[in-house]
Amino acid sequence: MASIQFNAVTKRWGDFFGVRELDLAVADQEFLVLLGPSGCGKTTTMRMVAGLEEPSSGEIFIGDDLVNDMPPRERDIAMVFQNYGLYPHMSVRDNIGYPLKVRGIPREDAQKRIDAAAAKVELGPFLERKPAQLSGGQRQRVALARSLVRTPRVFLMDEPLSNLDAKLRVTMRAELKHLHHELRITTIYVTHDQMEAMTLATRVGVMNKGVMQQLAPPEEVYNDPANMFVAGFIGSPSMNLVHGDLVDGTFRAEGVAVPGIGGGSRTGVVLGIRPEDLRVVGPGQGVFDAPVYSSELTGESTLVTFNVGGRHVCARGDRHFRCEIGEVVGVAVDPQRAYLFDAATENRIRL
Amino acid sequence: MRQRALAFGLLAPALAIVAFTTVYPMLSSFWTSFHILNLSRSIELGRFIGIENYTEAFNEDPEFWQVMRVTAAFVVLDVTFTILAALGLAILLLRQGFGTSILRTLLILPFAMSPALIGISWRFMLNPDFGAFNRTIAAVLPFMRNTDYLASPTMAMGALISADVWHWAPYFTFMLMGGLASIPPETQEAARIDGASDWRVFRDVTLPQLAPVLLVAIILKSVFALKVFDSIVTMTGGGPGRSTTTLAFFAYHIGFRDYQFGYAAAVAYVLTAILFLFSLSYMRFAFRRTA
Ligand SMILES: Nc1ncnc2c1ncn2[C@@H]1O[C@H](COP(=O)(O)OP(=O)(O)O)[C@@H](O)[C@H]1O
Ligand SMILES: [Mg+2]
Repeated sequence: MASIQFNAVTKRWGDFFGVRELDLAVADQEFLVLLGPSGCGKTTTMRMVAGLEEPSSGEIFIGDDLVNDMPPRERDIAMVFQNYGLYPHMSVRDNIGYPLKVRGIPREDAQKRIDAAAAKVELGPFLERKPAQLSGGQRQRVALARSLVRTPRVFLMDEPLSNLDAKLRVTMRAELKHLHHELRITTIYVTHDQMEAMTLATRVGVMNKGVMQQLAPPEEVYNDPANMFVAGFIGSPSMNLVHGDLVDGTFRAEGVAVPGIGGGSRTGVVLGIRPEDLRVVGPGQGVFDAPVYSSELTGESTLVTFNVGGRHVCARGDRHFRCEIGEVVGVAVDPQRAYLFDAATENRIRL
Repeated sequence: MRQRALAFGLLAPALAIVAFTTVYPMLSSFWTSFHILNLSRSIELGRFIGIENYTEAFNEDPEFWQVMRVTAAFVVLDVTFTILAALGLAILLLRQGFGTSILRTLLILPFAMSPALIGISWRFMLNPDFGAFNRTIAAVLPFMRNTDYLASPTMAMGALISADVWHWAPYFTFMLMGGLASIPPETQEAARIDGASDWRVFRDVTLPQLAPVLLVAIILKSVFALKVFDSIVTMTGGGPGRSTTTLAFFAYHIGFRDYQFGYAAAVAYVLTAILFLFSLSYMRFAFRRTA
């Protein structure tokens, strides 16, 4: 068990920054999820913890050890690679057992632990197969089992569920959550799936272009985004972001006027409202009227898209709500649930 | 149908040339190997003696067995050192990031040289009076001054193998670099994280994945080693004594020095049979995956 600490860590290749000035403290037993679009530096961050990538500058600690110059095998970690990293010439059993074999764990004990790890990810019947004879999802489970076969100081998981089908992904997600509850091993988990991030994380680190945008518990990242990137990245469908100006506490843009947004005036702002914080009402009863552009029933709710001054704005309505395309409806806004951003810096303007 | 006829028609001249220059001599020498043909007496094919030439080699000619032992020693040592040198170079060069073009050019130079020329230049370098090797070694180990390396059976064999390793290591370095580069790096990274030392990563993860390429390289190099001829002619002349006479050189010697062409053809066919076995296994391993 161990904490992990990054002090001003930068990783660059030439003048390209993979990770820039990262300060990050992962507490002992924490489940930290790194979330961000592809290429934002999540894998690089994780590889620096593993020792597969050397930081260009800054310090990394695991527990009390400065690990900058410590080879991977001494770091006592387990990692699930994004593309599995299985040993193609070994059977599933030998793959899972390899960390035990190099540590000289006696055969009988090793077999027991291999069987237990394989059972956890439902791989029992495939132990004698080679990785090439498995599906993508099964290979990913072998990689998971290999990391679960011993108790390391730190778990690193790079999109471990990305290749599973939707149903298995939900099952494995619950399994991982339970496992973490049981083992309490500090975990860094990389994903670009916000559902995974929200459900698994004790804290979420949202990254973009190598820079940590916000590091906070899931509900805070969702309810109190630090900037426009986080606001737009978290939530599905994503937050409506409308460019306009603030005039005496009323947000104005083409076809829209939303009163009650703080006080004062300011030009060049962006109003952000989540689809679930917009309500569809009768014409004239909301803060503005707009024609319906499309209406989609997702099962649990109805997504209604409006055409507002040439832009699309989305609202999540009740699953019984029905309307015609082209029909003009009113849109009610809860000003308490609106966010304001500076259009130039994209930083949050606190109201 | 017409397409196939056309294709065959276009290939026919090439096939005819191959048949005339390869197939005909092969069949003809096979036929010869069952006869007496002594060119110092007559250019006519002599008496048919069945497999007597073969039984003579295996049962009566002590030289033949010495040559077989020399051949075996040469092939085993030559292949071992070439592949080990190539593997070491490949690992070092790959770490440097596949090497600059200058490095690659330097590496390929020995391979671009003709084996006969290599033999002659090595002979010069080993010359006891003015050879570059001799001077260099004598500078470090003064008692080795004026040693005639090619006059000692072991050292002549050593020199022959060194020259051949020098000639072929670059080719196999490139081959093994290709093999190493095609191993997914995550497999090695996973092993490092799983706790393996550099040596164990190499032994448990890299080597098994390189095995198919390595096997093909070993078979291929064995075939090349069995065929070595030019550098023996120019460097040691098969000597001192018969100490560097391999099968290929032996067949040549019996034929073109002793003019015993019937016997020479039989010895050549023993070599052919061995080469055939190696080629067969090469075909099996090299084309196993595509087949
Ligand atoms: N070895 C490398 N050399 C140069 N650029 C790299 C290297 N590894 C990663 N990068 C770049 O760094 C950025 C971050 O990569 P990565 O951490 O893998 O992103 P992701 O968040 O998708 O996991 C990407 O733009 C990638 O192209
Ligand atoms: Mg990645």
